[in-house]
Amino acid sequence: MRIAFIELRRRPGRFAPAAIALVLLTLLLLVLGGLLDGLYNGSTGALRAQPGELLVYSSEAKLSLVRSRIGPKTIAEVQQVPGVNEVGGIGVGLLGAAVPGQAADASVALFGYELPPKGVPAPPSTLGEVYADRSLQAVGVAVGQSLLVGPQHYPVAVIGWVSDTNFLLQGGLWGNVDTWRAVVASARPDAVLAPGTFQALTVVTETGANPSEVAAAIDSATSATTRTVTRSEAVNSLPGIKEQRATFNSIIYTTFFVAALVVALFFALLTLERIGMYAVFKAMGASSRQIFIQVMSQAIVITTIAFVVGAVVAVLASLFIPAQVPISLTLSRGVQVAVGLVVMSFVGSTISLRRVIRVDPASAIS
Amino acid sequence: MLIAQREIKRARLRFGLLAGAIGLLIFLVFFQQTLLSSLLNSFTGALKNQSATVVVYSAEARQSLEGSIVAPATVATVAAIDGVGQAGPLGESTLTCVAAGEQVDVAVIGAQPGKPGQPTKLVEGRLASADGEAVASSEDRAKGFEIGDVVTTAAGDASVTIVGLTKASQFSVQPTLFVNFATYTAMKRASNPDALAVLPSAVAVIPADGVSAATVVQSINASVSGVEAMTLSDAVANAPGVASVQSSFAIVLALAIAVVALVTGFFFLILTVQKTQTLTLLRAVGAPAGYLVRGLLQQVALVLVIALVIAIGLLVAATSGSNTGLALVIDPRALVVSTLIIVVLSMMGVAVSIWRVLRIEPVNAVTRPGLGGGQ
Repeated sequence: MRIAFIELRRRPGRFAPAAIALVLLTLLLLVLGGLLDGLYNGSTGALRAQPGELLVYSSEAKLSLVRSRIGPKTIAEVQQVPGVNEVGGIGVGLLGAAVPGQAADASVALFGYELPPKGVPAPPSTLGEVYADRSLQAVGVAVGQSLLVGPQHYPVAVIGWVSDTNFLLQGGLWGNVDTWRAVVASARPDAVLAPGTFQALTVVTETGANPSEVAAAIDSATSATTRTVTRSEAVNSLPGIKEQRATFNSIIYTTFFVAALVVALFFALLTLERIGMYAVFKAMGASSRQIFIQVMSQAIVITTIAFVVGAVVAVLASLFIPAQVPISLTLSRGVQVAVGLVVMSFVGSTISLRRVIRVDPASAIS
Repeated sequence: MLIAQREIKRARLRFGLLAGAIGLLIFLVFFQQTLLSSLLNSFTGALKNQSATVVVYSAEARQSLEGSIVAPATVATVAAIDGVGQAGPLGESTLTCVAAGEQVDVAVIGAQPGKPGQPTKLVEGRLASADGEAVASSEDRAKGFEIGDVVTTAAGDASVTIVGLTKASQFSVQPTLFVNFATYTAMKRASNPDALAVLPSAVAVIPADGVSAATVVQSINASVSGVEAMTLSDAVANAPGVASVQSSFAIVLALAIAVVALVTGFFFLILTVQKTQTLTLLRAVGAPAGYLVRGLLQQVALVLVIALVIAIGLLVAATSGSNTGLALVIDPRALVVSTLIIVVLSMMGVAVSIWRVLRIEPVNAVTRPGLGGGQ
């Protein structure tokens, strides 16, 4: 084992080709993962933050918030279902908003809510006041500003920040129900809903109640005019979320496989080059196991160093990536990539095992 | 040349692993490129392949057809501007419809018959002219959008009968229906009876004969307030998501291509370093440097050809068996461009190996300690 580390220290140049290739693969994996996380977080924040375990949509909406309509009669039916603790209406308008001092409009998702989502205060009492998602700071939004929403430039005042509440990659604005209705009536007359009607309901179940059973009971109580799903089902039903994840994950797994191949290739060549040296080691009493552990340790150390360098480069590069690229580098993604690469480097290094075992100590003196 | 071929023959595993690794990397590049072009086509195909060459959005729409809404009076104002040949309302909305007994998200595009906004890639049937008729995206024919099929809004039961099919004309990666504006209004109202009004999303414009689209765009933007006119190509390029998808994929593709060049370059560099003594001997017995370089390039070319075959095989398998929810269509032109970039960069990657081969001094063959020489 010590010899492996001494070689790494004294001949770093020998390992540079594999290390540089692994740095690039790390960068590729982190960028791919960061894009996947950025797209997911930016699209789903508003639903993930909902206080209820369940979300109720109209049955013909196909779990689309903007196409769903739940009337007052249905809301009353949902409130009566055993296991339901609290019910709150939600509505959203996807609009453009003029930001003071900025040339380009911001894309916003203006929500009206009754039950506050996680991290969002109770609905503002004043018409036209909203909490804004902190991500809107990037487009020049500031607390105290008035944003002009929609083609009729309906003014809404930003009174505070909230985090991770965006929807379909549009910045979240959170106001009371009257604000939402007023903005939609001004900006999208085709999307107006009758008084008392919401797009969807967030349902907090009673302690101990089984959310799946409550969901079934709600749909039964409303004579199947609703479709009730858990929060995670609602998130996964957003357009493109599942497809996005499947596509990016398949690319990420292929890249992990390529990393294993790079390590395998490199150490197979290195082993070939050192056959004579390994024969001497074996003649001196070293076992195949000890020699293989050397190869494996070197592979893991190189991969770890490459990951650290790749991660630093990825973080620095993310500072220069254009704002329209929704990249989000997270610790959990970093850990996943690091573990995946180390496992793949172990798998790749095992390709050299056969050659190490076949080294004949007698060849050391021939 | 013979030696290079024999080396590959005798070290099949080594070269096979390399070709496999590079093949997988090239497959990654090809697959992402296919995904990118298919995604962009499915995002904006309906906009790209309709008859208007100028599109007029509301100013705050952020160049999004779905986010735009214009007053009916704006259509008349635009139609009256000098240089405008034809103008008509263009509506777009995503509705839940029932097709073949299943609920599906459908993009519905409404335009007045005979006015701009008609699909231009009709492959079967005819354009929709009467109320209740629709042209559907041909990619979705198996999902209940075949000619003669009836598609109904999930709420309110407004129905359309498919009378034509158009290719490469999906919108937002969804089955797409082209209907007349009255049918569009009826479907929207059926989906939301509370709607105060159904307004056009944009104004579709065809310039008068001899007037360019750019000139009409300038005239409209100069004389109509609260709107943003764009040429069709600009509208497609600036559609929501297009720029971010392109930038994201560009980063990933550039990294993947760089890895291909690096892996190829480093592998051959290691091989060259390992074979330095053998190559020195070959030089000493009369092999010219050019012969050795040609052998090296032949090996690189062979590895790349095998890798490309692997990559194309994997791509064909992946696109036919893919479950990404997107109709993946291979774009041969994009693949040729990527292949050229990969080949050029890989050849640049082996430049260091070539340099090392050219630097070999035949005299070193007789100065090796094993031959009694000194260092």
